[in-house]
Amino acid sequence: MAKPLRDLHDVELAALSAAGGRREFGELVRRHSPAVRGLLRRMGAQAALADDVAQDAFLLAFEKCAEFRGEGTFGAWIKRIAARLYLKRRSKDARYVAEIENDEVAPSVDSAGRMDLDEAMKGLTEPERLCVSLCHGAGLSHPEIAAAINLPLGTVKSHVKRGLDKLRARLQSAPVAHGSASHVG
Amino acid sequence: MSVDEFDPAIERLFARAPSFPDSAQFEAALAAKLNTSSRFRTMALSVAGLVGGVIAVREVLNVDFNFASSAVSASAGSQPAPQGLSMAGVDAAQAAQSLLDRLGLTGLDMSAMGGMQMFWATAGVLVALLAAGVVKLSQEI
Repeated sequence: MAKPLRDLHDVELAALSAAGGRREFGELVRRHSPAVRGLLRRMGAQAALADDVAQDAFLLAFEKCAEFRGEGTFGAWIKRIAARLYLKRRSKDARYVAEIENDEVAPSVDSAGRMDLDEAMKGLTEPERLCVSLCHGAGLSHPEIAAAINLPLGTVKSHVKRGLDKLRARLQSAPVAHGSASHVG
Repeated sequence: MSVDEFDPAIERLFARAPSFPDSAQFEAALAAKLNTSSRFRTMALSVAGLVGGVIAVREVLNVDFNFASSAVSASAGSQPAPQGLSMAGVDAAQAAQSLLDRLGLTGLDMSAMGGMQMFWATAGVLVALLAAGVVKLSQEI
């Protein structure tokens, strides 16, 4: 008797998806879409754009499922696809020029004075947010980020370092909202 | 990532996926897109196959017709060659030759090939280009 989908490992699901299994791919979407959507928002995408890019990333992943051989995790693989798609989309979109000029925004805390990562990320400048989320969210190395966003390696390292320093400072100043009660709308 | 940038607490926060109240809608929208893309691809490949098939059948019928007419004319002792086909071959050869000229490959003499061979070679190249285009299109969708 076939195992229920929820008991299958990502690698098994990816192999079945590569053979055209829609239900198996649906299970992968169910497992990983929140992380992908969250990553894209942390990278600075607006909600609608983030969801659009996340859907494109999953469509692309379905096409390329056969290329996923389980060397890393499926989650890391799909996040890298999504991050690269977002960067490509962003570079095409002239409107981003206006967005990247935005300075940091004061993050908000909830009634209990707690702040989650997404709120703390809002306190970073756009390049810092992008570099930190590409590094820690999508798992790209500094040279990969430099190549992807066309910035010098030293600048990327500075953005990551400054971004992390700001995150630490902000998260330490307000207790972290654990358990991810952070419903993102 | 350098050692001083590694922060287990930050790593844990990044590893935790936020929860979205509209996850079900997201998954449904994605499934619909997947179905649409698959349906469109099937349709595009079917249409390409149909068009290719129609062209192939038409060409085969054309060849038969010209062969038949040449056989008739040969038996009547008037025209020794299948004119329609050789004219098409000559046209294709001229077009290919002008393309080669434009590409600076004037030295390559296409007229050395027979008219029929030239016609089929050109048709083959066009069909291959069309097939490559369809495959590329289907990969991009």
